[in-house]
Amino acid sequence: MDPIQTMPVSPYARLVRAVLRTWALVVLAFLYLPIAFLVLFSFEESRTPGLPITGLTLHWYEKMISNGILLGAVWNSILVAVAATTLATIIGTMAAFPLVRGGIRFPNVARILFTLPIMLPGALIGVALLLFFRRVLDAELSFWTVIAGHLVFTTPYIVLIVGARLQGFDRMLEWAAADLGASPARVLRHIVLPLIAPAIMAGALISVTLSIDEFVITFFTVGPQLTLPIYIYTQIKFGVTPEVNAVATVLLVGTMAVLGLSWLMAGQARRISGLIGSRGGAGR
Amino acid sequence: MTGIGAGRLAIELIEATKRYGETIALDGVSLGIEPGEFFCLLGPSGCGKTTTLNLIGGFIPLTAGELRIEGRRVNDLPPHRRNVNTVFQNYALFPHMTVAQNVAFGLRMARLDGRETERRVAEYLDLVGLSALRARSPAQLSGGQQQRVALARALARRPAVLLLDEPLGALDLKLRKQMQVELSRIQRQVGTTFVFVTHDQEEALSMATRIAVMSDGRVVQSGTPREIYYRPVDRFVADFIGESNFLEGHLAADGGARRVRFRDGGAVIVPSELPVGLARAGAVTLMVRPECVSVGTTAPEGQWATLTGRVINVAFLGNHTRVTVQTAAGAVVTLRPHSEGSRSAALDGLLDQEVCVWWSPQESTVVASDTGGGADGSLA
Ligand SMILES: Nc1ncnc2c1ncn2[C@@H]1O[C@H](COP(=O)(O)OP(=O)(O)OP(=O)(O)O)[C@@H](O)[C@H]1O
Ligand SMILES: [Mg+2]
Repeated sequence: MDPIQTMPVSPYARLVRAVLRTWALVVLAFLYLPIAFLVLFSFEESRTPGLPITGLTLHWYEKMISNGILLGAVWNSILVAVAATTLATIIGTMAAFPLVRGGIRFPNVARILFTLPIMLPGALIGVALLLFFRRVLDAELSFWTVIAGHLVFTTPYIVLIVGARLQGFDRMLEWAAADLGASPARVLRHIVLPLIAPAIMAGALISVTLSIDEFVITFFTVGPQLTLPIYIYTQIKFGVTPEVNAVATVLLVGTMAVLGLSWLMAGQARRISGLIGSRGGAGR
Repeated sequence: MTGIGAGRLAIELIEATKRYGETIALDGVSLGIEPGEFFCLLGPSGCGKTTTLNLIGGFIPLTAGELRIEGRRVNDLPPHRRNVNTVFQNYALFPHMTVAQNVAFGLRMARLDGRETERRVAEYLDLVGLSALRARSPAQLSGGQQQRVALARALARRPAVLLLDEPLGALDLKLRKQMQVELSRIQRQVGTTFVFVTHDQEEALSMATRIAVMSDGRVVQSGTPREIYYRPVDRFVADFIGESNFLEGHLAADGGARRVRFRDGGAVIVPSELPVGLARAGAVTLMVRPECVSVGTTAPEGQWATLTGRVINVAFLGNHTRVTVQTAAGAVVTLRPHSEGSRSAALDGLLDQEVCVWWSPQESTVVASDTGGGADGSLA
């Protein structure tokens, strides 16, 4: 038996455990209760949501679907997310190779520089980008500046996720492919990319979810266009309407779905690397 | 494809050297491997076997020297352009492909047409006996089966030379013996030159047509298993392969036949052919295999190398008995097989007796004592 289970424990152990468990529940409630109410209020009949609930309706969802400005904002958000993610995935994947496999002068410095934007405050990045676009490049704020802004914080995630996958990559597979007549380009295409594809996909999906609901950096870099988070923000200024609740609920469900998908992808990546790890010695 | 090329070597290493900074992994190795050979690189860990294979495969560049494959200098040729294929120690099967796709990979890279690819995949899976498992993924295979896939994958390209780096290292003993037989059969069947790395002397002796014994980045001796076993060029080789008696003495010309004279008395006749460079008298080591040594109360007549001594140990080992005799030249171990009925019981009675041990001079080998294991003792 595990010694930790038979170890004599303090007489207060039971009490301590009960308190900790309660505390954990309180924290979880604090994290998720507001979201639960948001979802609930999106189905509320009354124009001014609050407790108690007066009745349930899909009215706000219908209103949402027929709101042209809102749909335009959603469409803009999707465009930005797809464009930023596509670029970030290509740039991030390409950057991950030299970062993991060496061939650069200061690998640790480079790694920190590539991932630092994750840690920097959004407001700081936003202001910096605004100054840069307007005062240095003298460019109009537009769709393109938003996409460029989103690249700043999505690329690091791709670098991190793809880099982790490359770290555990069995270089012998590349040797084997070269040995079997594959040129470096074909090794990349037939061996390396298929094996890191789940990580690339997982990174891309996370990038989409981050981009879709990014507010701060978008706010600083956007021109006259509306994205979904900006739209919600402008609506809230006139008071919370149940329609915004409905939009937020849809956003929540969409984000969860994409995250779930990326989690599945990462799981598949882990399974494949598990196979690589167990190869050889496991046989019997 | 191979051409006539009579006398052309499949692999030729000329003064091949590989350095990793200060470490010398391979130190001026020269080797020639004939087409169709089953050539073993044998040596202790770290002696440079894998390095040699990786050089031939093209995975690491030579520091100095030259490498030829089928007569052509390939020093600067990348791996995917060399007419050799490798079976890696950990197999390196592609985890995202099925067994059949793994075998087909090299053929796809060679841009073989679909029908021919399919035909060859079937042919080589059949050769290794895995036709039934063609749709499985590598993760669903046992170690021995993965090994066979790796073999089929490498052979399917019909390379001039197949490189195998301790391919049986990860298998358990029984499977290993089975695969040794299997590998020999496959090699004879396809006729491809095999270069096989192992640190298991028994594996090398049983499979190879020729063996190169390596130590510290050098080839100490190369030859047929029999030559290596019965004519080791130095103490290192004799010690590494099998068991041997080492008797220290001095070489002395003694009338007609030359002898090794021992410090505490006694002398034995040595082989008529001695290694070059041993013509002058000096400190030498005489080596003789235990199974070549006979033991008895009286020595027979004739040209035998004979020593007298006292039996200090008799050990029954199942199919043979091991008798240790303390002589003037040191302890001499003999192995006697139990082929003649009651022989083993007779040996038991020898303990503490004064006996003679003798062997045919031609079955012993003499090397200079002061060579610490260098490569200077080639056989005359
Ligand atoms: N990449 C490397 N960098 C530095 N030294 C290396 C490298 N690869 C091999 N060596 C050194 O070269 C020498 C020969 O190594 P090699 O792998 O050829 O040995 P080996 O005979 O295959 O041994 P084993 O039986 O343990 O596999 C060793 O001393 C090793 O430490
Ligand atoms: Mg090795």
